[in-house]
Amino acid sequence: MSEGLVHGVVYSVVIVTVVLTATAMALWFERKFAARLQTRLGPTMVGPSGLLQPVADLLKLLQKEDIVPANADAVIFNLVPLLAALAALGAAAVVPFSPSVVASDLDVGVLYVLAIGAVTVLPVFGAGWASNNKLALLGGMRAVAQSISYEVPLLLSAMVPVILSGSLRLGTIVQAQADHHWFVVWPFFIGIPAFFIFVLAMLAESNRIPFDIPEAESELVAGVTTEYTGIKFALFYMAEYIHTLVASAVGAALFLGGWDGPFRPGLHWMVLKTLLLFVAVYWIRWSLLRFRSDQLMALCWKYLVPASVLLVGAAAVWVVLV
Amino acid sequence: MRSYFATAARALSTSLRNLLRRPVTVEFPKVIRQRAERYRSSFALLHEEDGDEACIGCLQCERICPSQVIAIKAGGKRESPISGKKRGYADDFVLDLNACIYCELCVQVCPTDAIVMTREPEVPAYGREELVLTMAKLYANEKSKHRAWGDATRLNGMQVPPKAPAAPKPASPTAPAAGSPAAGPTAAEKANGGSPPAAAASPAAPSSTAPPVAPAEVPVTGNAASGSAASAGPPPASPPSGGAAGATASAPPASGTTPATGASSAPVTSPSGADAPAAPGTPPTGSGEGGS
Amino acid sequence: MTALQTVHITRRVDPHLPIDRYDPEGELMLLHFGPQHPSTHGVFRMDLYLDGEKVVKVVPHVGYLHRAVEKLCETLAYVQITPIVDKNDYVSPMTNEQALNMAFEAALKLEVPRRARWMRSLFAELQRIASHLLWLGTFALDLGGALGGGATVFLHCFRERELVLDLFEEVTGARFHYNTHTLGGNRHDLPAGWSAKVKAALDIIGPRLDEYESMTLQNRIFLDRTTGVGRLDAELALDLGITGPILRACGVDHDLRRDAPFHAYDEVKVNVVTAQGGDCLARARVRIGEMRESVRLVREMVDAVPEGTINAGRPVKLPVQTKIPHGQVYVAIETPRGELGTYLISDGTQFPYRLKIRPPSLHALSALPYIIPGATVSDAVAILGSMDPIMGEVDR
Repeated sequence: MSEGLVHGVVYSVVIVTVVLTATAMALWFERKFAARLQTRLGPTMVGPSGLLQPVADLLKLLQKEDIVPANADAVIFNLVPLLAALAALGAAAVVPFSPSVVASDLDVGVLYVLAIGAVTVLPVFGAGWASNNKLALLGGMRAVAQSISYEVPLLLSAMVPVILSGSLRLGTIVQAQADHHWFVVWPFFIGIPAFFIFVLAMLAESNRIPFDIPEAESELVAGVTTEYTGIKFALFYMAEYIHTLVASAVGAALFLGGWDGPFRPGLHWMVLKTLLLFVAVYWIRWSLLRFRSDQLMALCWKYLVPASVLLVGAAAVWVVLV
Repeated sequence: MRSYFATAARALSTSLRNLLRRPVTVEFPKVIRQRAERYRSSFALLHEEDGDEACIGCLQCERICPSQVIAIKAGGKRESPISGKKRGYADDFVLDLNACIYCELCVQVCPTDAIVMTREPEVPAYGREELVLTMAKLYANEKSKHRAWGDATRLNGMQVPPKAPAAPKPASPTAPAAGSPAAGPTAAEKANGGSPPAAAASPAAPSSTAPPVAPAEVPVTGNAASGSAASAGPPPASPPSGGAAGATASAPPASGTTPATGASSAPVTSPSGADAPAAPGTPPTGSGEGGS
Repeated sequence: MTALQTVHITRRVDPHLPIDRYDPEGELMLLHFGPQHPSTHGVFRMDLYLDGEKVVKVVPHVGYLHRAVEKLCETLAYVQITPIVDKNDYVSPMTNEQALNMAFEAALKLEVPRRARWMRSLFAELQRIASHLLWLGTFALDLGGALGGGATVFLHCFRERELVLDLFEEVTGARFHYNTHTLGGNRHDLPAGWSAKVKAALDIIGPRLDEYESMTLQNRIFLDRTTGVGRLDAELALDLGITGPILRACGVDHDLRRDAPFHAYDEVKVNVVTAQGGDCLARARVRIGEMRESVRLVREMVDAVPEGTINAGRPVKLPVQTKIPHGQVYVAIETPRGELGTYLISDGTQFPYRLKIRPPSLHALSALPYIIPGATVSDAVAILGSMDPIMGEVDR
């Protein structure tokens, strides 16, 4: 028992550290990648090729004045940024980065991930409410509607690998995809659509374009984070990146075969696939415009949910027949 | 649903294509972008060739400035240490670059080409006081290697091209419009009053002259002005790029019409430099011009 | 001239719902789309009364950028006014200058040399390209996010706009706010080799317009966001005095360049771009179509600029002494935003007695209370963006 605890704690610390570092790198990467998509250079001054830019950003945000608006609900206001970051990190606990590197391979791993994903709605809504700001409130309402709606296709599409592999445990799911049996490869007619739906739902859950209406800068100044300054804003900001990173890792584990690869399966493949998904998310972010709230909802309930229900059925049929 | 994916894919491929392009960023301050020749960014006061200050304290620039950023203390007439003649001086000249709107009007009206603009790529300062150009700074800017192209002579020559001296007098110097004293006395080159007037007079003028323009030169076609010029004809799309200001150094005399391609004050070589003979002398499309 | 008539404004939506005072306990939420906002296109405030996400009433407030330009001009000589008026519609300064100087010349009955007329039209068309590029970039920003696809389109558009601004820098010496038009003609002539540069720039811009379309007009998300949004019918547009791309997007075929030709437009054929529907998508289509048309026009005109002087010879040495005799004149031109008019009352002195500028964006904004109610907040942003208001000319 205590051995499991020690194992869990050690790996947790390691993984959290790695994820946070990766987030910092992700900040740099996004700035450069976005810049190149726009035929410009991005950060170049701070550190070689701008690598220390995230450090500079963090330092800048740290020295800003910490403001709590009058008539704001101070307790919630101050608490939610931390909750956002923690909830985003929480899902990293069950992701199997390699056969031996996993903080805690829960039996109900998938369920846990989705539950944590649901928890990430709370800080957003809390920020919207506690800011005493109409723009933030609007953003918060939209975020809630969007997040809980997109939970459904997220869950249903995550059910496909669960059904195909027969277990909720992430380690088992990845194991079932060993030897290039990735679910997007076979059965591809079930795996690929399910993967697409998962990615879309993941984009919606992390409030990325094209689903970033809750934090739509052009409409709501900064959406739910309008009233946040300094380190609290930094936490929200980082929470977004962490969420995207971790969700990419989960997606890689569920659909892309995790640590499996054409030769020498291992941690590096997992990292590579996570990065691939991550790049895809940012490529989409910097190329597409955003949906309006009602169009977003229509997309979810009218297209994604029926499609994912069908896919779950198809996966079930597949498992029975094959 | 399909259209979402298809069009999204197209948008993604467009941004991917841009990913593969060379970034257009100019890495300031490692690389300073070169400005155009006519770029206007700061000012300089000039000395004449004989070393005397060119500014005669006539206050024209102070009067014309829409933002009233120029403050001059006119020194009254005194004897010039160089030429010995009595002439006006400016005792103090302050130009507040903070409020300047870079309209170039002060440059245009200067009768002695004393104030010109420079084309520094940037004019940085640590405080507002540094951007108030005192007389010392203005004269120091004279040595700047970023002297702009424009001074009063050039600007005026562009707008009102000078007559070549040899030309036969144009028919009546058309009313030099409202009281403009035919230009500054000093600027010999300047078209004196009336010249180009195109406007008024005009039609009368043409004919005449025609002159000595070598056919190769000039296009004259200028029809300058005012529509009248029958020219319905499409302008000789000539040569050096539509505008070639350059062209013809010796603009044939106004003669009511403008000497070809306006611009270019004859004396000054316009940036275009050569271009010279411009158009294979397309004879002026039939417009009444006489000649050539 | 007919006698004065009463104009009835048709109301599809009553813009004056009986809401005089905001009731915080009531059902509607009042949101100030305030002067500080990332996408109000300048300092502009809209009070939105919201029922959930739906807008019920809109009250626009202008005047945050009022600089008393018209009053200032009453103390400036005619040649000094041009650089001041440059700053009205700060996105397309060439057309501001053109409108103003055309009014002065009309008052003086002064004929501008043909070359100057062509140059002015050429500059105006180039400026139209630059202005619409800016509009497209900011519209994409409104729709797609400052951190997202919108920013990508925005930066691409500005990359191309730089090419146009560089061309202007070659001619006039300034990238923006040129003061190149003057009473009687222009101040700067075209340098040698300029038309080759223009053509090179157009060779780049032309195909890039296809790229922009692929990210906007052909994009399903863009179409979803703009189809049917902010529908303005032609009758209301005409009643409100709206002109320009907005009117043409309602299907009304009216363009001052063709219908009341000025300067070189009487010698060059302008194909007027119209669209049906009057919604944001139609306006976007019209503007992108106009960009293509301007590219074509510039190509046609740049080699055909006639030779000649560029100034009718007003005395440039002492321009302050230009006096315009008693009279009044109104001259209107077609800018990228619509009909920009200059109304001048002169009294024989060097200063205008009254200079009034009729800004097209003001009329465009006056349509907002009619077309936004019923849409959501996101749509309100899209509609405002598609109207392309420039607060500099609205407020002056």
